[in-house]
Amino acid sequence: MAQLTYLEAIRQGIWEEMERDPTVFCLGEDIGIYGGAFKVTDGFIGRFGAERVIDTPIAESAIVGAAFGASLTGMRPVAEFQFMDFIPCAMNQISNMVAKTHYLWGAPAPLVLRGPSGGYVHGGPFHSQNPEMWFVHNPGLKVICPATPYDAKGLIKAAIRDNNPCIFFEHKYLYRRIKGEVPSEDYVVPIGKANIVREGSNLSIITYAAMVHSALEAAEVLKNDGIDVEILDLRTVSPLDREAIAATVRKTNKVIILHEHSRTGGLAGEIAAMINEEAFDSLDGPIVRITGLDSAVPFSPPQEEFFLPKVSEIVNEARKLKAY
Amino acid sequence: MAIKKKSGSKASSNGNRTVNKAHTNGNRNSSLRQYEIPDYRLEHPNFSVHQVRKGDEMRYEVTGDLDTPVPPIRDSKYLDKKQCIEIYRYMLLNRRMETALENLYKQGKVVGGVYFGLGQEACSCASAYALDKDDWFAPMIRNQGSLLVRGFRASDTMMQYMAKAGSPTKGRDGTSHFGDIEKRNMVSPISMLGDLIPVMSGVALGARLQGRDVAVLTYIGDGGQSTGVTYEGINFAAVQNLGLVLIVESNEWAYSTPSEMQFKCTDLAERAIGYGIPGVIVDGTDACQVYDATREAVERAHRGEGATMIEAKMMRMKGHAIHDAATYVPKPLFDFWKRRDPIARFENYLVRETKWLSAKENADLIAEVEKIIEAEREIAVNSPMPTPESALGGVYCEDGCHAIKPKYGMPKVRKGSGGFKETEAAVHLK
Ligand SMILES: Cc1ncc(C[n+]2csc(CCOP(=O)(O)OP(=O)(O)O)c2C)c(N)n1
Ligand SMILES: [Mg+2]
Repeated sequence: MAQLTYLEAIRQGIWEEMERDPTVFCLGEDIGIYGGAFKVTDGFIGRFGAERVIDTPIAESAIVGAAFGASLTGMRPVAEFQFMDFIPCAMNQISNMVAKTHYLWGAPAPLVLRGPSGGYVHGGPFHSQNPEMWFVHNPGLKVICPATPYDAKGLIKAAIRDNNPCIFFEHKYLYRRIKGEVPSEDYVVPIGKANIVREGSNLSIITYAAMVHSALEAAEVLKNDGIDVEILDLRTVSPLDREAIAATVRKTNKVIILHEHSRTGGLAGEIAAMINEEAFDSLDGPIVRITGLDSAVPFSPPQEEFFLPKVSEIVNEARKLKAY
Repeated sequence: MAIKKKSGSKASSNGNRTVNKAHTNGNRNSSLRQYEIPDYRLEHPNFSVHQVRKGDEMRYEVTGDLDTPVPPIRDSKYLDKKQCIEIYRYMLLNRRMETALENLYKQGKVVGGVYFGLGQEACSCASAYALDKDDWFAPMIRNQGSLLVRGFRASDTMMQYMAKAGSPTKGRDGTSHFGDIEKRNMVSPISMLGDLIPVMSGVALGARLQGRDVAVLTYIGDGGQSTGVTYEGINFAAVQNLGLVLIVESNEWAYSTPSEMQFKCTDLAERAIGYGIPGVIVDGTDACQVYDATREAVERAHRGEGATMIEAKMMRMKGHAIHDAATYVPKPLFDFWKRRDPIARFENYLVRETKWLSAKENADLIAEVEKIIEAEREIAVNSPMPTPESALGGVYCEDGCHAIKPKYGMPKVRKGSGGFKETEAAVHLK
């Protein structure tokens, strides 16, 4: 098994799918000769040609619209957003055109919209966002947010093979910071299945993407306090893995929900409601939310750090919850 | 053909795009550039609509030359007698279907409103008629006639309006919001104006990757073309040389807003110059002109030469939808265009000018059309309403409900031997 970065895992996943299936092609801004702002498609145009690695005008609605149109002819487009912060420029295409198409008139839209998201890189308010909730609230889409190289590769492959529109949020903080084992043989990670990345008995942290790594760090600190933390990595935020969420609550009886995006209307609220429905009787304490603030993501490092969830915050909240 | 053939323009990928000379005349270095906008019309109406104050009220007023004689139908370069009669029949079906819809509405059988293409039947029917079987199209709200030409039944549209279980969307959407990617190659519209343009461009892109240059026809209004996505979609098609055939339905009004308040250029076809694609103007009430221009655009698309914009000048002869009496429209404008009714003009052409139809044959045709529409109405009315629970399901394509396969065959891809190498290049943000 090779050790790959998160970025290389995604890159390899798309590459392999393009090798395997002639209906897969990429489109996006600066993805061809330049290889993409983050180099996810570096070298693709040389291998696959300009027909299958298309540099587009700066036109997000056209990119999504064209991807959708091509998917109606049986193609499997993979469209890159240079930053996921720009995805609202194509909101109407995604929400009204692509997401509703199967429900309304029975046309499948097997396409992938992917790109870098997330903070911790001082990208400022327009290069740091986690806009996944806009799509979680859109029936018809699948929303994927991997945390590890293994999952990133397995999930991008699953997304490309899926017959539904998938939005694939890559966390840019993780791109080259983490490495992990990635098998060389073909595999997929199922969409809609969460994963216990750390078994524990005292409390559960339900999270995904970059926050999985913060939770793991916090769990090491908490271990010294004798607090045994279970961490559930959702991997897919729509559809949510209800069973896995209920199971971890039934096991540890105490829950922290941790995410990077703003608190109000965030995923934690939805998961808390779900826990009420599925496992209310198992709760031995209040459901705790650790999230980004209700503001834009500020630029200056001290402000950004203040905005985003911190390991110390997770440790403190976990201690309080354990004592509850 | 007025559009000059572009030399060696089959750029199947980005990067090797040639300069588009399709409509540019003369020297790029000259201080005065000239561009061609072929205009098929046999008249050039000259009037405009303004806001004026009348006491405490504001209204629209039309000024200009409104008494010009109705021009003849321009003989088609391509259509024969049989085809002309067939288009005429579709136009009749289109109008009778909409009359039936109006009656169904008055009988309280329609859920929501009804949209009409009155005065625009030539534009819808003759343009759709110019497509080949493998081509694609997507209608806008007033192109109910295009659906008939492409093989949908009047009862399909009627059931959509009545939200019946038997409607193409099984009650989930209304009007002409439905599609068929299997047989009739129709993409369902959504309400938001302009969004079909990049989608249709993508259809052409998908087909081209599978080795086929298809034409993809869609429509946009004089109002709808103001949207940003219209620009994005046409530009995408232009840059990628995709066979988009965009009919701009220039019908004087966008809901209650006159086109004078929608754009500043003289004719919307001029926009084509900026996109680097051919732009053409036709009289949208003349089926032969609409057909000829569309057919030429379709053939360009089939040759891989890219997109064309066709501006069809006409008038929306009813309100925006059935609730709207269009009292804001100055009456002389209605009178001007009433004399240019596309069906009356085409009937005159077929019965009196060409004598391709005898009065008796014409009467028989109209009677046949009425009979068909009555039968379709019966089917639609008798379809049950959907069950409440039928709102469930189908949000996702799952459990093998659809097999995805390339419509025109597996793309031929560049052969090569893997060669995946890790990359170490600098990135945008660390
Ligand atoms: C993006 C968008 N904004 C607003 C509307 C509401 N709307 C529906 S039709 C219409 C007028 C359209 O005028 P035009 O494009 O000229 O088409 P016409 O009705 O004349 O055929 C408006 C404002 C819409 N459907 N889409
Ligand atoms: Mg209009």
